[in-house]
Amino acid sequence: MKSLFQQPPGTLLLVAFMVMASAFTTQAQGPRIQLGNLDHLATKASDTVDVTIDERLIQLAAKVFNEKDDDEAQIKKLVQGLKGIYVRSFEFDVDNAYAATDVDSIRAQLREPAWMRILNVTSKKEGNVEVYLSMNGPDITGLAVLSVEPRELTIVNIVGPVDLEKLTKLEGNLGIPDLGVEAPKKRKNEQ
Amino acid sequence: MKRATLVQVAAILLIVSFTANVGQAINDDFSSVVKMIEQYYNVKHEGLSFLAKAAMKAVGTGAKIKGGTARQLAEAGSIRLATFEDQDFNGDFLKFRSSLNDSLKDTWTPLVQTISSENAEQSYIFVREKGDKFSVLIVMIEKREGTVVQATVSAKSLALLMKDPEEGAKTIREEATIVDNE
Repeated sequence: MKSLFQQPPGTLLLVAFMVMASAFTTQAQGPRIQLGNLDHLATKASDTVDVTIDERLIQLAAKVFNEKDDDEAQIKKLVQGLKGIYVRSFEFDVDNAYAATDVDSIRAQLREPAWMRILNVTSKKEGNVEVYLSMNGPDITGLAVLSVEPRELTIVNIVGPVDLEKLTKLEGNLGIPDLGVEAPKKRKNEQ
Repeated sequence: MKRATLVQVAAILLIVSFTANVGQAINDDFSSVVKMIEQYYNVKHEGLSFLAKAAMKAVGTGAKIKGGTARQLAEAGSIRLATFEDQDFNGDFLKFRSSLNDSLKDTWTPLVQTISSENAEQSYIFVREKGDKFSVLIVMIEKREGTVVQATVSAKSLALLMKDPEEGAKTIREEATIVDNE
């Protein structure tokens, strides 16, 4: 049997490609969802907003938010341990300007077992709001919100230990829009 | 060492020092971004005759970053600004965004980027640490004009911008338009 290095260059290239493809697949399965395939929607959308608060900026936020300011102190506490906040929002002038395949390309990344769709989440706004949690055993490693309206498509992806309650407190801050998501009410014996 | 040799060494050191400073000025990110815009859109940024207006725009934009206290920002002492007036910014904005992000990815962190295809408006805000302060690099492009601002801001200013980056970007863009109309 020939060793790998005795193979023709074409075979080596194919192996290298497969290794790289495998690496990308693994990356896509983490709590950070890939939003690049929605870039083309910016040409159709009337307004596009792309907020990226990566780990470096979250560490920066921990430095710049003032403990003496109640609002900032709360945000500082909420972002502790987070690794990234990514928001992509598209607004359109006409209904259904985006294709179902665009939404499906996001949903395809939010499949079980890596992701768990949370049920019984209500939205005050029109349209459909889906909330997903990325789990690693009992630990939450990320959260994704997919808000699909006829003229608006919004994806929020928070990487790190975050739950629905934390999300609702972060709404309106750090580029996270007010999605109208309500945290599940705690039972009496949990309070 | 002979006096002539000493003079030669001094001259070489002076040339090396001068070249290094020029190189730094040419290769910094602000200049690179301005040059990139010029090349991509085939436009030219304003010369010295527009400095007064540019300074006015910088203070206005800075005021918004600071949440209304331009004086403090000015005291930070490092506002760099380039404006592009009355020129056509025709081009694929997705390709431009990609080129801009690629050129700054190693030295700046993108915070917020907005595109309004209807009005052909683009705004980009990048941040990075600079000692105990922070640098903000803002690129705004509209149909007929563009602005590049680099400013040093305090932690408080950055906190305001981070708390509501989308609104911050909109405010900066609107402020630039208001100043233009004055």
